Amino acid sequence: MSPAPAEEMGYKPLDGGWGWMVVVGAHISIGFAYSTPKVLSIFFKEIQENLGASSSEIAWISSIMLAAMYAGGPVSSLLVNRFGSRPIVILGGLMCGVSMVTASFGNSMVYLYLCIGVIGGCGLSLNLNASLTIISKYFLVKRPLANGLAMAGSPVFLCLLAPVNQYLLHKFGWRGSLLILGGLMLNCCVAGALMRPVIPPGKPFSSAPQKKVKEQPNKSNTKLKGRMQNAKKFLDLTFFKDRGFVIYLIGSVMFIFGAYGPIVFLSAYAIDQGVEEYSAAYLLTIMGFVDMFVRPATGLIASSKWIRPRIQYFFSFAMVFNGTCHLLCPLLNSYTFLVTYAVFFGVGFGMVFALIFECLMDLMGNERFPSAVGLVTIIECIPMLLGPPTAGLLVDIFGDYKYLFFMCGSVIVTGGLFLFVMNIYNYHMLEKEKPAKDREQNQKSIESQDQVSASEVEMKQTPEAAMERTEPEAKETDGAQRDPLPENAETPY
Amino acid sequence: MNLLWAVSALLLSCWRANASTAPNIITEPSEVSNQTSAVLSCNLTESSLPIKGSHWIHNGKVIEKSKSGDTTPYTILRLDKITHNSGGKYECVFLTDPEVKQTIEVKTLPHVAAYKHSEHGNEKDIGAMVCVSHGYPLPTDWTWFKEEDGAQTPIINGTTDKYEIKSTPNKTTLTINDLSIENDIGDYICSGTNELGTTSDKIHLRVRSRLAALWPFLGIVAEVIILVTIIFIYEKRRKPDEITDGSAPLKSNSTENNKDKNVRQRNSN
Repeated sequence: MSPAPAEEMGYKPLDGGWGWMVVVGAHISIGFAYSTPKVLSIFFKEIQENLGASSSEIAWISSIMLAAMYAGGPVSSLLVNRFGSRPIVILGGLMCGVSMVTASFGNSMVYLYLCIGVIGGCGLSLNLNASLTIISKYFLVKRPLANGLAMAGSPVFLCLLAPVNQYLLHKFGWRGSLLILGGLMLNCCVAGALMRPVIPPGKPFSSAPQKKVKEQPNKSNTKLKGRMQNAKKFLDLTFFKDRGFVIYLIGSVMFIFGAYGPIVFLSAYAIDQGVEEYSAAYLLTIMGFVDMFVRPATGLIASSKWIRPRIQYFFSFAMVFNGTCHLLCPLLNSYTFLVTYAVFFGVGFGMVFALIFECLMDLMGNERFPSAVGLVTIIECIPMLLGPPTAGLLVDIFGDYKYLFFMCGSVIVTGGLFLFVMNIYNYHMLEKEKPAKDREQNQKSIESQDQVSASEVEMKQTPEAAMERTEPEAKETDGAQRDPLPENAETPY
Repeated sequence: MNLLWAVSALLLSCWRANASTAPNIITEPSEVSNQTSAVLSCNLTESSLPIKGSHWIHNGKVIEKSKSGDTTPYTILRLDKITHNSGGKYECVFLTDPEVKQTIEVKTLPHVAAYKHSEHGNEKDIGAMVCVSHGYPLPTDWTWFKEEDGAQTPIINGTTDKYEIKSTPNKTTLTINDLSIENDIGDYICSGTNELGTTSDKIHLRVRSRLAALWPFLGIVAEVIILVTIIFIYEKRRKPDEITDGSAPLKSNSTENNKDKNVRQRNSN
């Protein structure tokens, strides 16, 4: 979706200043989004006793919440495109708060599935998508760092909420704890308030008199844009024509499939190896703690001028590193080795997650990122729900945990290598296509400068051509040229 | 006459032989009650069958250490410290064909333990307290008491809707309906009785107020509202500056107005 080129020029992301407050907001929002489904499991035992539910019934709460969170992606990207990030995060925070508060009065499992699972999950999906989008609007040069800092919210909140939840459970019981947790989730509204919308200069809001001449065509622009956005709903599938997007999607699906199995089964594996229960639980804490610091560090490294143009390769390196860790895990059996494994696992996991959305932003560009991330999350729903049970099935069939690690490690390593090879291919193809696209772009920009509204109509009639036009802009500025600062904005608004 | 005597002697010896093929185990002691240690012994008498060995069984499980290949008709088992775990039915087994065995019961006081020594319940909700017992023999009677001002008031099943007691030999559950903060907080005692005596354990019940979690919740909501308000006010105060930065005419207008105001003020003065 591209407005007229004249407006494209006028916007340069802040890359600092209030942007850092936005990162804080995104940190809180993403933190709640990723950690809530995990920390809720602390309440399960008491809810089970109180409501008389079986273990599998209770586990459905977390599954429904995660599924709703990921499946709600496309809807939330639609809303973010329409309303901007701030109202959506505030709405998401309210939904989460309401879901927990109403759940605290629940008396049946179905009621809990609806409240916590559906409403809570939808609220979290709104939070996640909108937070990622606003980062892409505020940052360009330092975007990987901003992404790393924001994604670090997940392990930070996991480490914070787990003991807090234990304390709340002991002091207030599960109902009181859900009530207070609902209150805590209202802080997402504070995070949303921080996400000041970016108003690029040249919009009808500014009162500069020189722009009055353009106001008329601007207004017709916004009307046409609105209609185009509605049409966009049905155009989601055009993403699959984008080579880079498909490559990224396959790689990230493979990663998600193998990523969560080792986490779920790490303590069980350690206990199986003869480690005592308390120390086994400690392994996950170590991993989370390392993760907390690795994510911003990875963001910092990825922002550097050596890595930034090659960020897709860095991402595939991170995946291969993670996968190799898993493959090496079953080799030795001592507790020290398991601790080392947990540390390296934390490093690998943090690296991948710090980069996972940054790479998508890099590929898609600002305007297409919200829709792309919605599509990616709903597709990622499937490997995320299938991964741990498949790993568990392997353990059941073979009776040995090492096959789980081999499976997960090999899937992730394959994914990483696939990304690496296919990205080389992709950039190669883009280099070949670049001269042709450049000529096309120059022709069209000359045409559009003559008649702004005429070109808008043209674009409306050929939405695919418009999308193809923005594609080389995005790709140009990403990989082929080693210049992290694009001259013209790949970031309209 | 001699023939008659011989036949009767033969019959007598046959009868005696028949009688003596029913082996008899003499146990010493026949029963152990409330002792800290004991030596169990079995003596196999009146058996002409060959003995290949012997061992002891405790509650259906063979005691590995007691397995012996001795062909003597005498076996002992030492119990140095009798706890509730070591109580139960002991059987000495002689490996004859067929096997013969005899049981000695080792009885101890019941061991009563609370599932959790501190229980929580929510106001107007249901609170449950559980006591379990191990040992032999298992308690035949369970009673619950509520400790009030140092005295123990028995809780009787069925008198009110409030209390419900469900007991099985190894477990007892006291369920209190409609918990109230004034009346139900305190110590509860479960005691189990078997033929040797009674043991009990204490559980402390805490009742959480329904509204207990409400205050922190309201505090957090207030904090959220205050923060959001502060952020929006800060933004509104900064916004006019940002807009006037871009457009010169407005700025000069405002300064002119100020000057006029100053002039007017001076004139009025």
